[in-house]
Amino acid sequence: MSNFFALIQNENMKIYRKNATKVMLIILLGMILAAGLIIKLNQPAPKENTQWKQSLVQQNKMYQQQMAQVKGSKQAVNYYKQTIATNQYRIDHNLKPAQGMTLWSFVESAAPNAALLISIFAIIVVSTSIASEFDTGTIKLLLIRPIRRTEVLLSKYLSTLMFAVFCLIVLFVFSWLIGGIMFGFGGAAEAHLSYINGKVYETSWVLAIWKNYLLSCVSLFMMVTFAGLIASAFRNSGLAIGLSIFLMMASSIIIQLLGGYSWVKYVLFANTDLTQYTTGTPLRSDMTLSFSLTVLAVYYVIFVIIGWLFYTKRDIKA
Amino acid sequence: MNSKVEAEKKPAVKLEHVTKKFGSKTVIDDLSFEIYGGEVFGFLGPNGAGKTTTIRMVVGLMRMTKGNIFIQGHSVKSEFKQALRQVGAIVENPEMYKFLTGYQNLIHYARMIPGIDKKRIDEVVELVDLKERINEKVKRYSLGMRQRLGLAQALLHRPSVLILDEPTNGLDPQGIRDLRNYLHDLTRKEGVAVIVSSHLLSEMQLMCDRIGIIQKGKLLGVETVNEFVQEGGEKVRLTVDDGAMAARVVKEKLAIETESIEPQAIELAIDHEKIPVVIDTLVMSQVKIYGAVSVTKSLEDRFLEVTGGKGLV
Repeated sequence: MSNFFALIQNENMKIYRKNATKVMLIILLGMILAAGLIIKLNQPAPKENTQWKQSLVQQNKMYQQQMAQVKGSKQAVNYYKQTIATNQYRIDHNLKPAQGMTLWSFVESAAPNAALLISIFAIIVVSTSIASEFDTGTIKLLLIRPIRRTEVLLSKYLSTLMFAVFCLIVLFVFSWLIGGIMFGFGGAAEAHLSYINGKVYETSWVLAIWKNYLLSCVSLFMMVTFAGLIASAFRNSGLAIGLSIFLMMASSIIIQLLGGYSWVKYVLFANTDLTQYTTGTPLRSDMTLSFSLTVLAVYYVIFVIIGWLFYTKRDIKA
Repeated sequence: MNSKVEAEKKPAVKLEHVTKKFGSKTVIDDLSFEIYGGEVFGFLGPNGAGKTTTIRMVVGLMRMTKGNIFIQGHSVKSEFKQALRQVGAIVENPEMYKFLTGYQNLIHYARMIPGIDKKRIDEVVELVDLKERINEKVKRYSLGMRQRLGLAQALLHRPSVLILDEPTNGLDPQGIRDLRNYLHDLTRKEGVAVIVSSHLLSEMQLMCDRIGIIQKGKLLGVETVNEFVQEGGEKVRLTVDDGAMAARVVKEKLAIETESIEPQAIELAIDHEKIPVVIDTLVMSQVKIYGAVSVTKSLEDRFLEVTGGKGLV
């Protein structure tokens, strides 16, 4: 197995020695910095609010009334219940709500866009790693070693996933630092309130952020695998990158267009957003978390098998 | 090459009825031959004859439709790892990672086979004479330097079978001579089997012990270089004072037809033993002889003859 570790080392060397990868990391850092600056400059100076308990009590009363009016909508009722419970918890435990942006809310708000960016980068990395060796001809010297093609492909795939994790760590650390510099490191001690089954708990922000990252990674994971399949099948990195990014970007439109059909639930993109089961409402009422996980698993296995067959069985003519 | 020793040895590379079809088109048709340790085997053929396809099947880049290939007794099909452990190769151009340095490229390949330490990498770098520029990125290398780096990666793991596709491409005369000497050492001292394909036929003549000629996917024959060249017949060229008279003498006295007559020279296609007889006869007949050279056909002449002279680059 030390041999396989060496393959991972090789793929990592090829990923990080490329200028394109360095540019990606710079773009990621630049985006976080820019977001921090824009928010900081547009945010009015926070006013000292000593009356926050009274205003929360007011807010809760208002929400109670509104909740009574929207009885029909389960989603809205849930939202009000959660807000009211959280507010009550703050009043009871003397936890003043944050004014404007804080360190942690910045880290949280940077996550969705950055996750999309990282998905694009990971698609580029996996496509280049698999297909570009056919363009440059290096594939010939790579595959004449006493190593199975399966191992070579697996090392490329795993190295890409490691690259994505590395990007997430960079995102976390850097957005934490920028958040601290822009909005004060005092916010680091802030508690994260989560609402689970009608009760409010104080939890760690770090856990909440990483849970958030991991949920965004479902789409990343599936699209990287898809890009790997296209790259293996067509041996063309441009096609793999273009098609995968296009599908990822168009996924919400595709789901909207197909929304009327009952079979939409079997479409990959209807199942990549697992937050529909935690905070939102499922796309269709007959969809459950285990249903989505099953659909994802089936797609995953199909992608992997087809990509693997193409990579390992076809002649190298490059 | 001692054919007796050869017969006792096991082949380093053995092709058994290898056939390759692309769709319904047969690209390689029932190819069988053997290559032994200690020899340089030249693989010759016009463009599109199937040289590269054959080499790709030997190193496992392409599957064969029928037949099997054994490297040191291991089947490329069923014992890929054991078979390829024995092989170092350059397939077509030595394409390396241009964004890495020469040294990083070698580390990359060294990691893929256990047992190659830093010392061995340095040794190979020294051998191919790249020491001074090994830490530069490959994109700044000349074709000759890339060729040498390609050779370095093929030699890293001390393979017992070395396959070089067009190895002299881009090398300067000194580099070609060094390569030739090095291949000579590898085969004679370490018993490595070397397979070379090249379009530079004169180079092949100097480099190879045996050659196999392939055309349209079929093997026309495997012979030693000397046999191959001499099969075209030996000729002797005599420089004389009067070509016409000399030709008349050999015709009248020995009944030998002259191949070509020049004012001061004649060329005869005769057996080796007949040469002194001819010279004696001419001397007796008062023909002055200033020189006698045996003219063998060059590999290129023979090659063109055998393959019909078409489609050669």
